[in-house]
Amino acid sequence: MLAVALAGLAALVVRLRGSGGTPPHQGGWRELAASELAPPAKP
Amino acid sequence: VRAVLVGLGAVGARAARQLLASPQVDHLAVLARKPVRSRGRSRELSGSFEVAELSPATLPAALRGASVTVLAAPGSQWVAQLSIDAGVPVVSASDRPDEVRALVAMDRQAQGRGLAVVAGAAMAPGLSCLLAAWASSRLDQLSELHIATLGTGGPQCAKRRHASLREPVEEWRDGRWARKAPGSGRELVWFPGQVGGADCYRLNRPDTFLLVRAFPGTSCVTTRAAASRRDRLTSWLPMLRPPHPEGTVGALRVEARGYRRGAAQSVVLGAAGRPALLAGTVAATAALRAATGQLRPGAGGLASLVPDPAAVLAELHDRGVQLSAFEGAPVNPAW
Repeated sequence: MLAVALAGLAALVVRLRGSGGTPPHQGGWRELAASELAPPAKP
Repeated sequence: VRAVLVGLGAVGARAARQLLASPQVDHLAVLARKPVRSRGRSRELSGSFEVAELSPATLPAALRGASVTVLAAPGSQWVAQLSIDAGVPVVSASDRPDEVRALVAMDRQAQGRGLAVVAGAAMAPGLSCLLAAWASSRLDQLSELHIATLGTGGPQCAKRRHASLREPVEEWRDGRWARKAPGSGRELVWFPGQVGGADCYRLNRPDTFLLVRAFPGTSCVTTRAAASRRDRLTSWLPMLRPPHPEGTVGALRVEARGYRRGAAQSVVLGAAGRPALLAGTVAATAALRAATGQLRPGAGGLASLVPDPAAVLAELHDRGVQLSAFEGAPVNPAW
């Protein structure tokens, strides 16, 4: 019982403090325009 | 420009169409091992061209006054050698590692004559090299290149891919060559266009060799291709059914990893379309540039010989090649 309670407590802490989340839902492939195919300005 | 094209298969026919559509091309001499079999494809061409049988007797006459030789058939190294001897630049669409290495070995001859000998002017290698070169120009320091492809062009390309799934793979890892098992290293790759995701595996293709030559400072260069379980399981057998005349779905993904303004960055570029169409368009574009002296002298891939990959990509875009960039989240403000 103690082990189960400790495991549950640990899971709760990880669940509440975890930095995970759902995968990104934005972005993806974007077709390039001819004007974008220019050499970049190096700093 | 007077061009000589060897081979009128799926890629050769596409390259011929692109060349004949260009106002720069005055005449195209098509040489085929079996001209009778090429009749159907040659009927679809229009412009100033002739089809003849490829032989050691007919080639010298075709090379007389030629501006460039385009190789779109396997086993054409002897044609490349005769072209170089005749002072004619060479553009090869071959994706066979042995042929690419043989062409690159002609580097000294090509440099001595001030000629460009392009090894691998197709979808991969070819467009993959151009995208890698352009992606690397977006980074201050390039550390890794990862190429993935899906689909094949004509029957020769399909046979080559079948064989490459059973051959040992040379991969560039930690700045040195490492031998890997073919069909290993599964990775889920998301391609542009309608293709979506596909499991990709290591296979023996010359992209890695050409890219390491072009970018010797990279620590890792890998090449993968989409394959099914059946492809991998039957790779050691002869092909169970004849390859299709031309692949319909194809895609390419190039990922360059490195640093920009001190921060780790990755640039992901891609293209989608029929592989034979992409390969033929790249071969024709490279041929016109080689014929007009717009490539560096020497033998190598497009990443080594093209001084301005952005200009070539812009030309390919104008010719209908759909190029894409992958934008994850958060969106990179530099784009």
